[in-house]
Amino acid sequence: MPIQINTSLKGKEFAPYTVTVERGRIKDFARAIGDLNPFYLDDRVAAASEFGDVIAPPTFPITFRDEHADTAAFLKELGTDISRILHGEQEFELHRPIRAGETFVCRPKVSDIYEKSGKSGAMAFVVRETAVTDREGELVATLRGVTVIRL
Amino acid sequence: MKYAKVYADDVNVGQELPALVKGPIQQIQLTRYAGASGDFNPIHQDDEFAKAAGMGGVFGHGMLTMGFVAQAVTDWAGAGRVTKIGVRFQGLVRLNDVITCTGRVLGKSSKDGTHLVDLELWAENQKGEKIVTGKATVALPSREG
Repeated sequence: MPIQINTSLKGKEFAPYTVTVERGRIKDFARAIGDLNPFYLDDRVAAASEFGDVIAPPTFPITFRDEHADTAAFLKELGTDISRILHGEQEFELHRPIRAGETFVCRPKVSDIYEKSGKSGAMAFVVRETAVTDREGELVATLRGVTVIRL
Repeated sequence: MKYAKVYADDVNVGQELPALVKGPIQQIQLTRYAGASGDFNPIHQDDEFAKAAGMGGVFGHGMLTMGFVAQAVTDWAGAGRVTKIGVRFQGLVRLNDVITCTGRVLGKSSKDGTHLVDLELWAENQKGEKIVTGKATVALPSREG
């Protein structure tokens, strides 16, 4: 019995939330990938660089999660659960490097929900976009992720 | 060569990025990536959970592979140069897989003193199966400044 996805969530905007980029988190993230670039890991090299401090790897904004958001509740509202979801696509637009110590506001929304049948059966696609702005209100990054739900 | 500065002037369309080889992927790396990224989906940690979910066992976070692909770009172009990177996840990374990430220069453009290079990217496993495909844009310095 295939599950029914609640497509009325298309356009849903989540509450904005704040994130602070922790120096140690950048380093843990880079090391977990096995990326030992000194601009991520070496405070002295980074301080002497054009960036002035340690910067984050391109995919680091994926860590910008809302600590208070209940992912399981959102999946339930969609009509699914964590065992059925896969990451289909991910994109980052990076308007400038992200430095240790910076604070950003993240505004996520569901930009699209659609269904398609592929070789592995019927799937639903949930597109989420998150705009990341700095203290001056300048857009720093945009994340676009597609979650695939196996129906 | 690694972390050498690349100038837009020296980049040619069709040129390939040096391949970055990652793995063999171990469970500890998936656990470490879960902690660092905050993605604790048990499908990447718990073999029984992954089997019950119909996935045939544990597999790597797509975002970890994307991190490898992004590293292939920054090892070549330098840290802080990526203005856009996007991928499609096309295959699963299994434990003990060896992942090779590389790319190719698709095009170059200059506007208002910014020199952009468009790249095609991909990662494949030891069997030659595509794991991710994608694109990126990097902003590179020019020799004229």
